[in-house]
Amino acid sequence: MNPVIQTDKLSKWYGNVLGLSDVSIKIETGITGLLGPNGAGKSTFMKLMTGQLKPSIGKVLIQGERARNNYTLFSRMGYCPEYDVFYDELTGWQFITGMLKLNHFSSPDVEKNARKAMEIVELMQDKDRVIRSYSRGMRQRLKFAQAIAHEPEILLLDEPLNGLDPLGRRKLIQLIKTYRDEGKLIIVSSHVLPEIEVLTNKIVLIHQGKIFAQGDIHYIRDLIENHPHMISIICSNRRKLASKFIKEEYVLKVEFGKVKNRVTIETNDRDKFFSSLPSVLRKNDIEVEEITSPDDNLQAVFDYIIGK
Amino acid sequence: MSIKEKGYTHWDGKLKKMKFPWKPITQCGIKLTFKKKFFKFSFFLTLVPALIYLAGIYASEKIEDFSFLTRDTDTLSFLKVDPKYFSSYFTSDTLLFMIILLMVFCGAGLISDDLKYNSLQLYFSRPIKKNDYFMGKAAVIAFFIFIVTLIPGIVFIVMKLIFSGSFRFLASFPWLIFSVVGYSIFITTFFAFYTLFLSSLNKNRRYVGILIFGLYFFSEIIFGIFFGIFKSKYFALLSIEVNLQQVGAGFFGQKPVYDIPWILSFLIITMICILAAIVLKRKIRSVEVVK
Repeated sequence: MNPVIQTDKLSKWYGNVLGLSDVSIKIETGITGLLGPNGAGKSTFMKLMTGQLKPSIGKVLIQGERARNNYTLFSRMGYCPEYDVFYDELTGWQFITGMLKLNHFSSPDVEKNARKAMEIVELMQDKDRVIRSYSRGMRQRLKFAQAIAHEPEILLLDEPLNGLDPLGRRKLIQLIKTYRDEGKLIIVSSHVLPEIEVLTNKIVLIHQGKIFAQGDIHYIRDLIENHPHMISIICSNRRKLASKFIKEEYVLKVEFGKVKNRVTIETNDRDKFFSSLPSVLRKNDIEVEEITSPDDNLQAVFDYIIGK
Repeated sequence: MSIKEKGYTHWDGKLKKMKFPWKPITQCGIKLTFKKKFFKFSFFLTLVPALIYLAGIYASEKIEDFSFLTRDTDTLSFLKVDPKYFSSYFTSDTLLFMIILLMVFCGAGLISDDLKYNSLQLYFSRPIKKNDYFMGKAAVIAFFIFIVTLIPGIVFIVMKLIFSGSFRFLASFPWLIFSVVGYSIFITTFFAFYTLFLSSLNKNRRYVGILIFGLYFFSEIIFGIFFGIFKSKYFALLSIEVNLQQVGAGFFGQKPVYDIPWILSFLIITMICILAAIVLKRKIRSVEVVK
């Protein structure tokens, strides 16, 4: 199966400023999280994929076609930009229908698709209000509506959850997942790690215009062999458990936290630790209430990779 | 069905080609213009010269009913409906001023608002070419300028035929309709480039409005100063207004106000349009860059 999006040595400079450097990746269907701090090159990458920017070096292929100036391809893509892109004087309905007309939809289809998109983002009741009067969350939903209204197969969402309240955030996340289940390709960029974490395990870490890592969050975690892993255990006898592990060479540190019965063990070989843990627990008759990996999340991986 | 089971299906449908992909941009531009404060009043104001000239055509055919006007020789000569009458309408200072007024309302925000609202990225992530974008914006300008040039010009001819009850007028000046159409297109093309160019220079439509007014009258002032000092008629070529009037005289087969070949003015206006097109192309590309 060919990748839907493929970039080859993709680089972009703005004069002397590096926007993106030597990016060669393949992106398949499903949700891919594009993660990086502000100014990392996420928006540049998005704009190169939507064909709005010309690569300085390399190429972007979408469904095997070059993205730049490929107007037919654009009708299969939905793009939700990071910043507000509205004429405040227009109503939400006028904005959506105008965007659909730009996608060459016929009048009955414009009406039908606009209605569907507005209903999905729950803005149908406010469709005749001018955008100026919309709240930040409503604007964000409207921006998402214009990206999905023409039923694209590829969705590029630049910081889509910005400005949404927790409920709106949850709804939008659910909606994005629905699109994933329909077999679409969705790229979500964000600098907020938990946002990406709840959406997907497939991530691309981008920083200073370079791809730092790509793949499953756990796969990336495994790549960082020397980086110590923390395992936090709440058990019936934490001192005994600590004493059994402290002498092992793969255990670097043992810490007793403020939480009652919790011990945090730092290891440089997670596999070895977890293979010996059950026997230690069994032999010493220790009951376990909870086992967690506090640093097995995107924030920890991200911080480690970018060298914080 | 999960994504991994479903896999990906390549899109094999055909994109329906639109005859005028720029039409939605134009419709939106016109709609937004009518929403502007005081626009409707100003728009009505721009139609006043056309209404006066239309009344003149009526009066010229019913001259016996307007005998009080015939005492004044100037008025009498004004009421003679011929190519000069048309030329005087199309090249009048008043009409050009009205067009500038229209440009401030309908043209100033055309690109500057897109820059302000970051809308360009939405346009260009859709099946819209850069030329379609420019065409859509220029069509907004054309719509309003044609209302005060092309449409009145054709209405004048039709009304002259109706009021006179014969086709003699058209038989005497068969080329006049081409002059009306040709000059209307020429003046619209110029103002489209002029306005879009200035609109692409700033994100604030008020500043752009000032620029549209300012540059037009600044060229007139510069001409006045140099003409006053050096007394050379060729300095008239510095004035946008004079150049438009000279070309207008050429289109309607009239003697230009300044004794300079009108083709020079035509070339200058064409040069301005070409320069504006080059700058526009560069400016619109440059704003695609992420800041």
